[in-house]
Amino acid sequence: MLISKIIGDKRRYRQYRARVGRLPEDYRTAAEAIERYLMHFVPADNESAISEFEDLAELFERVASDGTPIREVVGDEPTEFAEEFARNYTKGGYVPDKERQRLLHGIERATGEREPG
Amino acid sequence: MGKRTTEMLKGTLEGVVLAILAGQPAYGYEITAWLREQGFSDIAEGTVYALLVRVERRGLVDVAKVPSEKGPPRKVYSLNDQGREYLEEFWAAWRFLSERLEQLREGGR
Repeated sequence: MLISKIIGDKRRYRQYRARVGRLPEDYRTAAEAIERYLMHFVPADNESAISEFEDLAELFERVASDGTPIREVVGDEPTEFAEEFARNYTKGGYVPDKERQRLLHGIERATGEREPG
Repeated sequence: MGKRTTEMLKGTLEGVVLAILAGQPAYGYEITAWLREQGFSDIAEGTVYALLVRVERRGLVDVAKVPSEKGPPRKVYSLNDQGREYLEEFWAAWRFLSERLEQLREGGR
């Protein structure tokens, strides 16, 4: 099924969601914006799909506990970071421009550069 | 660091990171910090992290998990034999490229 191709193992995906849910709000907002963007890249297989999310959770748990500013994590061009990240798990993919905008705005909300909503 | 430097660094960052790890094992943030100290100020920590995930998946580094005071254990990366081989190839490619570019700059062919 396509959905399992995108999220991989459902149980591990739920665990991933729970980990993101425990992050401080700003980091959660950023991680969710990136997750949404990553959904547009079709992973190579189920294992790649789920490890992509687990690695994302691990990165954000690490930087949240270090207190690293989100901008230092994602850089000035979050789409580039996310695409670089996605490249590890996919063999190709397509991202519509509106999704680029959505990711940029999600990061701006997370870093307080934009009003929520 | 200018935009152009960042662009040019991109293609070599993998080799740069492996070269750092050839010196000593390190975790992600240490590598980012070292790069920033060297003047590569635009490097995002996430980019280095993504790169480390890649070299790990390709079997070029070994990973040890070291407990940290708070948060998840830190992943400490070290270069393995396969990584050392890859790094040799990287330096050969770099030598080729830099020699050719230097010739070009001097107006030779």
